[in-house]
Amino acid sequence: MKKKVISALSGLAVGVLASTVFFGNFSTPDTVSNASAKTDAEKVYVPFGEKDEYYLFASGGHSGQMFIYGVPSMRRIRTVPVFSPDSATGYGWDAHSKKMLGGYTWGDLHHPAFSETNGEYDGKYMFATDVANSRAAVMDLKTFTVKDIIEVPNTSGPHCAAFVTENTEYLFLPTRFSVPLGHQYASLDEYSEKYRGVMSAVTFNEKAQKLHIAYQVALPPWSYDLSDAGKKISKDWAVLTTYNTEEATTNLEINASQEDRDFIVLFNWKELENMVKEGKYDNVGGQKMIFPEKHKGGIYLVPVAKSPHGVDVTPDGKYFIASGKLAPLLTVFSFEKAFQAIEKKEFAGERNGIPILKYESVMEREVNPENALGPLHTQFDDKGMAYTTMFISSEVVKWNPETGEVLDRVPVQYSPGHAVAAEGDTVSPDGKYLVSLNKLAKDSYLSVGPSHPESMQLIDISGEKMKVIQSSPVDPEPHYGQMIKADKIKTVEVYPKDENHPNAVYNQKDARIVRKGNEVHVYGIAMRSKFIFDANAKRPDVIEVNEGDKVVVHLTNLDFDEDITHGFAINQYNLNMEIQPGQTNTIEFTADKPGTYPLYCTNFCSALHQEMTGYLLVKPKQ
Amino acid sequence: MAAAKLSVLSAALVGAAGGLLLLSLAFPWWGMDFIAPQYPEGLEIIVYPNRLEGDIDIINGLNHYIGMKPFSEESFPELGYLSYIVIAMAIAAFIVALTRSKSGLYVLIAVFLIGGALGIYDIHRWLVDFGTNLNDSAPIDIEPFVPPIFGENRIANFTTFSYFATGAYIVGVAFVCLLVPLWKERKK
Repeated sequence: MKKKVISALSGLAVGVLASTVFFGNFSTPDTVSNASAKTDAEKVYVPFGEKDEYYLFASGGHSGQMFIYGVPSMRRIRTVPVFSPDSATGYGWDAHSKKMLGGYTWGDLHHPAFSETNGEYDGKYMFATDVANSRAAVMDLKTFTVKDIIEVPNTSGPHCAAFVTENTEYLFLPTRFSVPLGHQYASLDEYSEKYRGVMSAVTFNEKAQKLHIAYQVALPPWSYDLSDAGKKISKDWAVLTTYNTEEATTNLEINASQEDRDFIVLFNWKELENMVKEGKYDNVGGQKMIFPEKHKGGIYLVPVAKSPHGVDVTPDGKYFIASGKLAPLLTVFSFEKAFQAIEKKEFAGERNGIPILKYESVMEREVNPENALGPLHTQFDDKGMAYTTMFISSEVVKWNPETGEVLDRVPVQYSPGHAVAAEGDTVSPDGKYLVSLNKLAKDSYLSVGPSHPESMQLIDISGEKMKVIQSSPVDPEPHYGQMIKADKIKTVEVYPKDENHPNAVYNQKDARIVRKGNEVHVYGIAMRSKFIFDANAKRPDVIEVNEGDKVVVHLTNLDFDEDITHGFAINQYNLNMEIQPGQTNTIEFTADKPGTYPLYCTNFCSALHQEMTGYLLVKPKQ
Repeated sequence: MAAAKLSVLSAALVGAAGGLLLLSLAFPWWGMDFIAPQYPEGLEIIVYPNRLEGDIDIINGLNHYIGMKPFSEESFPELGYLSYIVIAMAIAAFIVALTRSKSGLYVLIAVFLIGGALGIYDIHRWLVDFGTNLNDSAPIDIEPFVPPIFGENRIANFTTFSYFATGAYIVGVAFVCLLVPLWKERKK
């Protein structure tokens, strides 16, 4: 018996020894040195009940939309339509958004910008521009809905915009394409004489929630690219890059890449504002247009390596960084040096009446990371370090603008256009996170055939070395983005009652249908799980009109309850809108098709959502 | 009959009871919380002596599925006069405190008891009314029910918790302030 126990025990011991020898891990675990450090997976995991630390607003490019992501989870939270219709939200169908879109069915949203107070994001508004149809939009961040869109005349493709000044005095919209003023016909042989690259200074009236063009500047007929407003000592100034200063009119790939240098336009918006006040402008189709060759001052050109893309002002406002997108090197320019050169009038000639500063007298230093190629766009962290995307060498380079020292490099997949750091273009970036907005995803994700998503890679920049910690597919196609601390944004979940709203119905008994000649106005309500268009009718959920009537349906969502959204769609009338909790929304149409058309709630609202229906009856003409 | 007067301390307590009654008007007296999977944060009805607060519209919206009548401040006439009754009681307490009338105290306690009983009966009456007079044509057919005045109940996906709130407890303390003199002034 005793023997048996001993043999059993020794057998067990041998087994343990053998398994230890074969499977034991005798290497020093990596985590011993920093036991508290999180793994990459832990850094990006946000469990249910907790929220992300940052909002990422990624521009949706030619989707015309804005993609809202959470950082660090990189989960897509919402798509907000801006320049394109979106049937899911009825954007482009309800009366307000239909009017705002002005008949355009797509847009190209490139560079978004938050409203700022003292150079910090204030979390109140988001501005965006449309390269496709020359529009600018403002989104209210209480509701994440677009409040106003304007079409910008005399310009074509406000690509580099929007960029806002320190206190959102202006957002400037320079143009990618030069066109003749008023979009008149003019032969391309007359390009240099008749075409202009107009920049617009847009103001935002917060109370009326309206955008307004304060004035425009008829810059030379070049292409204008990225831009940034000054900060602190340079707060009255702004910079934008140009290319095609060759003024080529065909095959720009070759012909706009001939000169070794293009320019950065450096301008003082306070001076331009004063010029407008003093009447130093021409009236062009109702716009106050400053012609730099006529009304001198306030605008200067700084030579830069050819075909630049990004130009970014350091958080302290002392420098601006730019580089040619085919060049290997980055140039740090000094605002102070530029101011001195302007004061001393150290100019090397002029173009179109705009003085040119000498490269050498504005340049602070050149930075040339070995074998890096295609610097596009620079962001900053809390220590003032710069992070520049390299499109061609497909990497992000971290470097010190004060010394030019290259600190770290990390490959990204593939070809980053822009990068966005946490509050990375404000006077006080947060550090922590950088998202590389890559133009190519290639083999990064499960294949969906030839059309690929783009790729966004989250990089932990809290340490000395960068670390890619997450990769997230995104629909085509983010250009620039903005990343804001989540607690800065104060949303409402339910629209508050507005007793002065002329079309609102807050008591279901007040729902009514009013006929005015051949117009039918419905003042109805939606609530779980019914429509009431006419409280006193035999069938309160029926709208009966005559063929040819103009029908205006106002609906108030009486569910003042979080996330109880109702939709309102009419079959075969190509109509759908969304009514958020507490909101009153309006849709207009002409009942030009006689017949019987079911209508229903499109946004799943309740257990009896399927029953939330009614009819539109259109009586044929006799 | 000088001996029939309340002691100064007793009179002060009766006066305090009057003050507490007035104070109670600033607080809710009764409430009900509704918890459901979709409403982990809960919905609530908060009843003040003169008004309702909380998620009344949302609760009404949901209640129509079981055929319950919508309720509002207008549904409860008590909310129009209850605070005046409380004020009258407080004034009566002050008068008793000033006059130090023993018999006044007895009347006060009696009125208090009757009022309290009526109040609780009144809440019960409304709970029966709303819980049992359900519209037959409602989408969800449930057995008529009477939620308790105090405690837990379950209706469909909701668990409800009824409770007396701060104001009611202040009134309770006021009642104790009336009972203490009764005890102190008892014939030794």
